Amino acid sequence: MLRFRLAIKNLLSAGTRTWLSASILALACLIMVMYMGVLQGWNTQAKTDAINWQFGQGEIRSPKYDPYDPFTIDDGHAVIPAGAEGEAVPILVRQASIYPQGRLQNITLQGLPKHQNLLSIPTGKFTTEKEGVIPVVIGKRMAKTANLKVGDMTTLRWRDKGGTFDAAQVLVADIFRTNVPEADMGILWLDIDKLYEMTGLRGEASYLVLSNAGYHKNVPSWNYISKETLLEPLEAMVAAESIGAYVIFFILTGLAALAIFDTQVLSIFRRQKEIGTFIALGMTRKQVVRMFTIEGTSLSFFGVILAAIVGIPFGVWLKSTGVSLGKPTEAMNINMAQTIYPVFGTSLILGTVIIIVGISALVSYLPARKIAHMEPTLALKGKIQ
Amino acid sequence: MEEIISIKNVVKRFPVGDGFFTALQDINLEFKKGEFAGLVGPSGSGKTTLLNIIGSLDTPTEGEAIVIGKDISKLSHQQSADLRNHNVGFIFQEYHLLPVYTVYENVEFALLLQNIGAAERKKAVMEALDWVGLTHKKDSKPDKLSGGESQRVAVARAIVKRPAILLADEPSANLDAENAHNIMKVMKKLNEELDTTFIFSTHDEKVMQYLDRIVHLKDGRIEKDEMMKAKYGVHGAH
Repeated sequence: MLRFRLAIKNLLSAGTRTWLSASILALACLIMVMYMGVLQGWNTQAKTDAINWQFGQGEIRSPKYDPYDPFTIDDGHAVIPAGAEGEAVPILVRQASIYPQGRLQNITLQGLPKHQNLLSIPTGKFTTEKEGVIPVVIGKRMAKTANLKVGDMTTLRWRDKGGTFDAAQVLVADIFRTNVPEADMGILWLDIDKLYEMTGLRGEASYLVLSNAGYHKNVPSWNYISKETLLEPLEAMVAAESIGAYVIFFILTGLAALAIFDTQVLSIFRRQKEIGTFIALGMTRKQVVRMFTIEGTSLSFFGVILAAIVGIPFGVWLKSTGVSLGKPTEAMNINMAQTIYPVFGTSLILGTVIIIVGISALVSYLPARKIAHMEPTLALKGKIQ
Repeated sequence: MEEIISIKNVVKRFPVGDGFFTALQDINLEFKKGEFAGLVGPSGSGKTTLLNIIGSLDTPTEGEAIVIGKDISKLSHQQSADLRNHNVGFIFQEYHLLPVYTVYENVEFALLLQNIGAAERKKAVMEALDWVGLTHKKDSKPDKLSGGESQRVAVARAIVKRPAILLADEPSANLDAENAHNIMKVMKKLNEELDTTFIFSTHDEKVMQYLDRIVHLKDGRIEKDEMMKAKYGVHGAH
């Protein structure tokens, strides 16, 4: 308590020097928490979107299907296992081409049940009053690349079960907006029953999106990919983005640490007589070292308090309004919402505070160690160089 | 009277370049409880060095310095700090007050180091400030005090913990004649009331006239040890 009291008094008496160092620490703290909070918010949003639009609670893939190998699409389908209804949503993937404005564009047809509600794909829009046309829904990115609007029709060409080319007119029944490019780019979504009619693959699917992860145990012959595994690339992407935040954080913290170190060196030099007095009054050298370390470390507490004063209201506001990225994020082809709502977790805030306090304590202690070797008689005279 | 300090064959050398400077040579002294004594001599005579050894801020190169039954040379840092904390008070030429603390807090600091309770601390601090006549300045910072007032605060800080020994290194050097007399009167009164042993290092005549015993030092040796008053039943030099 005594040491804290003296430390606080000394810091306050140092005036501008104290507030400058504390401000840099506060800035480092704020940037770290805000930047990481936005990344954390992005991570949370991207995972939620990926689960809602693409992965559900995981996937089981038919034995020959590999989504990363287009050559497996033709044969990558199998009869939907028994008991899948209510546990998973089947998706049948086929290759096809469309001809918007006469241009050839290769796409994948993905059929899924009209009445599913596991994925956010607007399957309820698989309807049309026009006869002889196939209603499809597409994402905004796909609509842009194919230059299609709701109500547009285009020619679709595909191979049927026997390998013969077939063609029909498709109607864009709806264009949906999703943050998940993998559910959008190059995909025409249509009713799986219609796709069965078109391909003759009734009752088959390329993969199942699980609503109950435990269901995969009933189907050991299909390849189970857990939700966590499917989300790994996303987490890796966010982690890679975090490096920038760490670099800025450590540069700022380093600057503040340098300021604290410098202040300590100067302070110990200028306050030799005070150090000698402490020892004469009955403190051990170690106690004096501890006192100067506490004094330097207290700067970080000032920094954290400053950061809290500015950061808490700003963070609350940011959490409610979100961070708008300005221009449409579809063009980036990454899973990112137009507005990201930051997530300020306890571990993020505590971790940042601990790092800042820890670094401050270290750079306060290093110069203060010199006191342990001071001769009190020389210190009292201010004769130590 | 009870012997409180015993210096036997003390030598103190400081390294200078490739050799040594001998600051104290073959010092033999004893101080009794309640003495009001001074180490007198010109600059470089070894007064402050001897005072520092008695206050366990320094150790002798040779010989033995026993303070309140403790051999200074054999004390650890902690034991040495404990000795100063509980038994030795210091008064310095430059006052050495903590600039960020008020007068009250400066005096209180010595008691905080002893972990004394708040109520007892307050009583002792106010009493000490009363002794030196500074209760009305208790909330002032040292930069608002005159030299005399600062030195009185230093005296209060030294005396507040009721040490057995009080060491004052040139306490009047930065004071005018009036303040020097005032401070000496305060210390003399405390010596009489508290029976604290006062040892001064000085070459100021104004201080010397208050001393009961004067130990003259020259070039690190005791030149003369004389009793000035009849307090101990001894007269003149010995």
